[in-house]
Amino acid sequence: MNLTRRAVIDKALKSSVLCLGFSVGGVTLMLTPEQARAQRIVLRTLKPDQVKTLEALAEALVPGSVKLGVTHFIDHQISADPGECLLIAKYLQAPVPYAGFYGTGLKVAEGMAQRTAGKSLTSLDGAALESLIKQMSKPGTIVDGFPIFLFYLCLRSDAVDVVYGTPEGFEKLNVPYMQHILPPEKWDA
Amino acid sequence: MPKTLEAVDVAIVGAGAAGSVFAATLAEAGKSVVVLERGRDHKLTDLYSSQIWARRLKWAAPLVLEEGPDSVWPNFNSGHGVGGAAIHHYAVWPRYHPEDFRELTLYGRSLDWPFEYSELRPYYDQVQEDVGMAGDASKEPWRPPGAPYQLPPVLVTKHGEVLARGFAALKMRTAPLPMAVLTAPYKGRLPCIWDGWCDAGCPIGALANPLAVYLPRATKAGARIVPNAAVTRVLTDSTGKKATGVEYYTANGEAVVQPASVVVLCAFTIENARLMLNSGSSRHPNGLGNRNGLVGRYLMSHPAVSVSGLFNEDMQNALGATGGQLLCQDPFDKKSDPSGAFGSRQWEIGLALKPNDLLGIAMTRPDIFGKSLHDFMVDGARHMGSMVGVCEDEPLYENRVDRSTTTKDKYGMPVASIKYQISPNGRKLWATAAAEGVKIFKAAGAREAWTGPPGGQHIMGGTIIGNDPAKSVLNAVAQSHEVSNLFVGGPGVFPTSSSINSTFTAHAMALKSAKYIAGNWSAVKA
Repeated sequence: MNLTRRAVIDKALKSSVLCLGFSVGGVTLMLTPEQARAQRIVLRTLKPDQVKTLEALAEALVPGSVKLGVTHFIDHQISADPGECLLIAKYLQAPVPYAGFYGTGLKVAEGMAQRTAGKSLTSLDGAALESLIKQMSKPGTIVDGFPIFLFYLCLRSDAVDVVYGTPEGFEKLNVPYMQHILPPEKWDA
Repeated sequence: MPKTLEAVDVAIVGAGAAGSVFAATLAEAGKSVVVLERGRDHKLTDLYSSQIWARRLKWAAPLVLEEGPDSVWPNFNSGHGVGGAAIHHYAVWPRYHPEDFRELTLYGRSLDWPFEYSELRPYYDQVQEDVGMAGDASKEPWRPPGAPYQLPPVLVTKHGEVLARGFAALKMRTAPLPMAVLTAPYKGRLPCIWDGWCDAGCPIGALANPLAVYLPRATKAGARIVPNAAVTRVLTDSTGKKATGVEYYTANGEAVVQPASVVVLCAFTIENARLMLNSGSSRHPNGLGNRNGLVGRYLMSHPAVSVSGLFNEDMQNALGATGGQLLCQDPFDKKSDPSGAFGSRQWEIGLALKPNDLLGIAMTRPDIFGKSLHDFMVDGARHMGSMVGVCEDEPLYENRVDRSTTTKDKYGMPVASIKYQISPNGRKLWATAAAEGVKIFKAAGAREAWTGPPGGQHIMGGTIIGNDPAKSVLNAVAQSHEVSNLFVGGPGVFPTSSSINSTFTAHAMALKSAKYIAGNWSAVKA
């Protein structure tokens, strides 16, 4: 293999832009969300049933986002100080704590599936899931008193972040990344 | 018992745009200056090229409650840490127009500033000289009198060229966007390389953020910047007529009193009002300097419309500055809107795009998901055009920052609670801009064009200046009518919003106030 200087830089670039500190056995590992998922790093906040719902939705919103670690990205960030949050929920003035916002959003989405299709969101076929998401994506939609459209915007954006917000994502779109300075390895200081 | 520090001449709260101007000006005038910043320290080398990372530059604490019905987007529009909001601002720096200062006099509505444009002009010119500005005044028929730009205009790519075609087809004029972004080396700073990372902060200092211009001057002159210092109150003497300093908390929770001869609040619009409201005493039962109940009132934000479209050309939309390439102020006349609404508008044309984030390609069409989203992203990355229409918001008494009655921060102080509604005129102007924007894109050859929902750009008002102590919080040099050694900096002092980006005017106003303090020191501190 002919490893050029550019390739070394590219590799470093791709692996460092979305590195988060994941705690394993008292040791902090610097991993991308994709690596954290591949290494089955234990989630801090999200419960298994929530993960199933989240991943069904996220993958339908932005294909490829589950493999790229959207679950670990969200879990990591909703477990931290809201002021330090890297999720777009912060910009969109989503209510804090974000763990509660995401937990309720997933619960409401599941309830919508139960009401409209009579089964769990994770059991919906492609067309039924698409129909459900279209309901969520209508601007201003409130369900059970919860701003499900806002939740949709947040989750879709989180998935966009992991798929398109990194140098690898830019490359998929043939957009030059043109970084000045890459983020440091440790993001959650 | 709080620890009491040695007294300084000037305590400045907030190390953003206004705070850095005050700090540099007063330190260079020989005053001992300390700048207390609630957020973390930032260096230019901390400004990483990532829209995800950029979110850590934005407002982080304490919580701002919004009661609606509209939002001023406090988390997105504010900054947190040394550099403040100006660290991630887009450096679009047109000047306010003369009529923006005289709306009540000229039109019988809204409010007047306590002075005319001509009085602020020297400060605009001085700030421009300090930071270095790019533009072409000869192509800006709308530009008020001012010193010529020192630097050639910002880059215009295919993106700007194509959109300019649409304006021309509708007989609307465009000019290079006046920007506080270097297009050539200036005073030891490097020029922009047009990579579109302005929102994440410019680490090469080509964009005039506080870390690049005024804070280095301030520290060189001896000012001390203290990050992680959460100011909770302005302290006053027994008469209530003099500020004696400020109280703040360190990162480890230690309470500290910083005595000062002069206190300057530069913690941005919402926090400045909150600090004054939270600094009440027996002499100031409604909050500091709030005898007339106007602290927090007349909160404003610019109703903004994002216009997006897809073209057949390769738009080169990744290149350039985030704030855009071209300007159009043809719709600026406050009495000419076809809806009959009062107020001005302007267009910022050809914003550099990234795939993700609030202003990114994906968010322009939030209804698209699944495989269609990828197709849209690929198309948009090559063919999308983007511009923003900025509209004037009228100062309404009802729009305000108040103290929450339900929620306190970790120091036991009520957090800010905001009631805000886009002014009726602002909403009409927005609707006009939205229709006009799509028409311009179509005229430019867009195969499809659309707009986003109303957004709020910039946050102004809340501590407005004026000549009449009964109708304003501060006087013409942003000095409290009631506490003579208390000053306020930032766009919170603006009585009107114009439709023009606020940072240049905030700099000019801060310089005006700082020069006044330096030139009248004995009277101010006595």
